[in-house]
Amino acid sequence: MRESTIMQIQYVTAVFAIGLVTLHLLMQGVLVPYGDALMFQKVLSLYKDAVNGALLEILLIVVLAHGFNGLRIILLEWRQTAGWTKGVNRTALFAALVTMAYGTRTVILAATGQVS
Amino acid sequence: MGQQAKAATNEPGERAARNKRGVAGWLNPLNTNIERWAYVFQRVTGLAVLAYVIGHIGDTSFFVGGPFGAGPNSASWALDLSATENVFGHLVLTMVVLVVVYHGINGVRLILAEYGVIFQKPARPEYPYKPKSLRTVQKHLVWVAVVGAILAALYSGGILFG
Repeated sequence: MRESTIMQIQYVTAVFAIGLVTLHLLMQGVLVPYGDALMFQKVLSLYKDAVNGALLEILLIVVLAHGFNGLRIILLEWRQTAGWTKGVNRTALFAALVTMAYGTRTVILAATGQVS
Repeated sequence: MGQQAKAATNEPGERAARNKRGVAGWLNPLNTNIERWAYVFQRVTGLAVLAYVIGHIGDTSFFVGGPFGAGPNSASWALDLSATENVFGHLVLTMVVLVVVYHGINGVRLILAEYGVIFQKPARPEYPYKPKSLRTVQKHLVWVAVVGAILAALYSGGILFG
């Protein structure tokens, strides 16, 4: 993928992240009292609600895509050899996918797993 | 030939190409203009937020019992909260709000600049030759990011420690 296209994606994910992170922060103390926001039953109800669960999953993907691409950009700015570029591109993509998979596992298990 | 090579390496583009300070150059204390510091803080806060997000994904996984859990687990969640819901944890969260809000507002400035929305029209250079593109709105938005971040951190600190 061309770097110019990746930068467009970086800006799009930034705009989505601003909206979603703002909502996420407001849910933790402003729209919902902070003490209540962390209660087990409250968190469980958020994950089990389709809209809230989907928003958390989208937030996870958007923030990780933006964050790991940002890290990739910084590392590519640092050094510019062909080997380094290839290594950084692959490692950033792999790390983003692994972290997304782990976070998605939490969302899926929280929404569908048996409560204990 | 030697003279030609020397002349070529003194071209501005050549000098820029030789600038290999890289990431270390971010923290050069001689970088005194506000846009340079805004750039440095954008990178540093971005790295800090990414580190927090990775930790937060690990931390919230304890809602389902951690890496080896199989579903929502109230005991595991209580254990996680006991480790994070304390003065140090709240201090970290307050700092996270500070850097996230700065990164977000300054990021909006960068996007607007990238698409030419907040650039002034080109004009003849006049003394003291400050670039017109980095005046007024852009500079104000940097301060909006700084002040907004501090206010948001104070507000969240009030909620967390209140």
